[in-house]
Amino acid sequence: MKEVKLFLGPQHPGMHGNYSVHMYVDGDIINKARPMPGMLHRGFEKLMERRYWMGNLALIPRICVVEPDPNEMVYAMGIEKLGKIEVPERAHWIRMIVLELARLANHLMSIGGIGAPVGLYTASYWSTADRDLLLDIFEKITGARVYHMYIVPGGVRKDLPEGIEEEILKTIAYIESRLPEYYDLVMKSPIFHDRTVDNILLPEEVVWELGVTGIGMRSAVNKEYDIRKVKPYARYDQVEFNLPYAPYSDAFTRVRFKYIEAEQSISIIRQAIEKMPKEGSVRAKISTGNALRWKVPAGMVYSCIESSRGEYGYLIVSDGSEMPYRIAVRGASYPQGLLGVEKYLPGHRIDDASLWMDTMGVCAPEIDR
Amino acid sequence: MNSMNSIVDDLKGKFDIINVVFPDDMQMAVDVDKNDVHTVLSYLKTIGYKQLSLMSGVDWIKENEFEVVFIVFNWDNGIHILLRTRLDRENPVFRTITGIYPGAQYYERDIHEFFGIEFEGNPMSYKDLFLELWDEMPPMRKDFDPLAYSQDKFPERKYESQFIPEVGVIK
Amino acid sequence: MFNIVEDTQKTREDTRKTWEKIADYFRANSIWMKWYCTGCGAMEMPPTMTSRFDMEQLGMGPMATPRQADVLLITGYLSAKTLRRVIYSYEQMQDPKYVIGFGSCTLNGGIYFDSYATMTRLDHYIPVDLYIAGCMPRPEAIMNAFDTLIAMIKKGEAKGWKHYQDNYEWYNANQIHSLKEVRVKDEFHE
Repeated sequence: MKEVKLFLGPQHPGMHGNYSVHMYVDGDIINKARPMPGMLHRGFEKLMERRYWMGNLALIPRICVVEPDPNEMVYAMGIEKLGKIEVPERAHWIRMIVLELARLANHLMSIGGIGAPVGLYTASYWSTADRDLLLDIFEKITGARVYHMYIVPGGVRKDLPEGIEEEILKTIAYIESRLPEYYDLVMKSPIFHDRTVDNILLPEEVVWELGVTGIGMRSAVNKEYDIRKVKPYARYDQVEFNLPYAPYSDAFTRVRFKYIEAEQSISIIRQAIEKMPKEGSVRAKISTGNALRWKVPAGMVYSCIESSRGEYGYLIVSDGSEMPYRIAVRGASYPQGLLGVEKYLPGHRIDDASLWMDTMGVCAPEIDR
Repeated sequence: MNSMNSIVDDLKGKFDIINVVFPDDMQMAVDVDKNDVHTVLSYLKTIGYKQLSLMSGVDWIKENEFEVVFIVFNWDNGIHILLRTRLDRENPVFRTITGIYPGAQYYERDIHEFFGIEFEGNPMSYKDLFLELWDEMPPMRKDFDPLAYSQDKFPERKYESQFIPEVGVIK
Repeated sequence: MFNIVEDTQKTREDTRKTWEKIADYFRANSIWMKWYCTGCGAMEMPPTMTSRFDMEQLGMGPMATPRQADVLLITGYLSAKTLRRVIYSYEQMQDPKYVIGFGSCTLNGGIYFDSYATMTRLDHYIPVDLYIAGCMPRPEAIMNAFDTLIAMIKKGEAKGWKHYQDNYEWYNANQIHSLKEVRVKDEFHE
């Protein structure tokens, strides 16, 4: 037996972001794998201790590039819990719309992105173009395409622009009409079937061992384990949605779930636009005086939400001063991206490695922070 | 809230609990001695807290202590338990919990790198993870100054003085 | 007096310059780029490359490896760990090679100016021909930058790679000061 050392990443076209896996391969079977994170490490947790509570709003969306809004949401929720701040009703619904739009954009990205490791580049071209329509909506709502800094402690930064509801409805109707086409293109492709069905399994024991959440967990344990259902935040308890779950998790199931979740997101956005109060305040007044210098009462709280990859949380510690004392970030892909790669990538083929990273939902920036 | 109180009573009956606070509904923070952590965690795992959501450290420099926080989650009732324990800052040694939650492997490595807390029984935790060729004290300690380190290691761009308005700068 | 040595050298120099100009014209019209997604800026690359903004209208295309690429895009902040790989990739590239720095992070550290892990200016370590300001640059800005780069190459202004050859000691000293080791020997930690 002859072993060869092989580097997958950080500059490999099949790699998602600046992340690296070092492998020892025999033929095309991976014998040993070592994740090598840290290429995106910016020391966020340290930087957040050096900024004011309000100043951190500019910093936190940058923790996860693909889906920045959950960061803003957990940060805002944590501060609201510590400071016992009541968020206005309308702000809750706007937050939900923004979060679901972000989830939809992220699912579109990964539905198309699955095209790259299996060789279906058409899908990634389509989905990038369709995702751009959602970015246009974000630009109209928040003023920025990728980093929105829109969800702030106490509500949202400003009210929705006039007439945006119709535009959102139009865009999501278009994306809904496109989803079957994606399904025909990707999920019915024989190549895709060959590569994903009964490949890259995720058994239930592994889910509990690593701490995998999100789609990976729901597809393995056959329960509707989702933070939106288990401990609803915002107004998720007032909308109806059903999440897919299954007892058998292979790569195909997990990709199929993304389609169903994208449809559910569309339905949540529709319900939210229908049910939300049409007017009212969107931001609670937190303190008098300089907004940059407000203080958060001392305490320690863990706030978490469901991002598109799973449970995303911040542990926020305040000592009652103008800056956070400590913030620890739980990246949703931390378990599968580090220990998962080390333990469960071996045994697969080299060409399945990037498919593994993709369907398990590994996002490098939130691991590195 | 009822289920939370019953868990608290249960824990108080079985272990030496120093303090319990409720930071939020469906969430409680439990302080225990560092020698009790493993038994409490094993017990929590058997009663449904099967997921280790996060494990992290806090540096309480004024009290000269490190705090290690274990966040476990029960998906069936949606309760997060923050199990907290304090370590001496001069000699921060702790026993690994990878035997109870295997997923803690990399969290421990993470904490060792950023706080310098040693985990006995986890040989992997002594290796570098995020930082490469790091030669300073662990960066998440409160007495580490990232700005000074950055200015020393990575020279900044010098802007000509006319770009910065001299008038009205309060020093 | 007729100095044959000096004269031939001068003619050679002139010929080389002429050829360089012709070469620059052709180089400018087909550019293969390698985008090292060091940070956030990589997020705006897919829209730039695909059907909405369509970078290929300028004659640029993505390339998989640095050895075959002409342009290296440094898309965002660089941690010390990435910088080692960036220098390694840059030195692998064939001459002529150009570098574009994305966003304020490569320019002056941006929002991470006081971070212990990220460097503050890229042109201290490798020569940068063009910076794009913004956090993060929009696809329009990226397209604009490509346009400018093409014009610069045509005019013979994008000479960063020559600067790197001539001032290698300076660059190397900076790299060693910030990184200690540019080539990491024990990457596997085993």
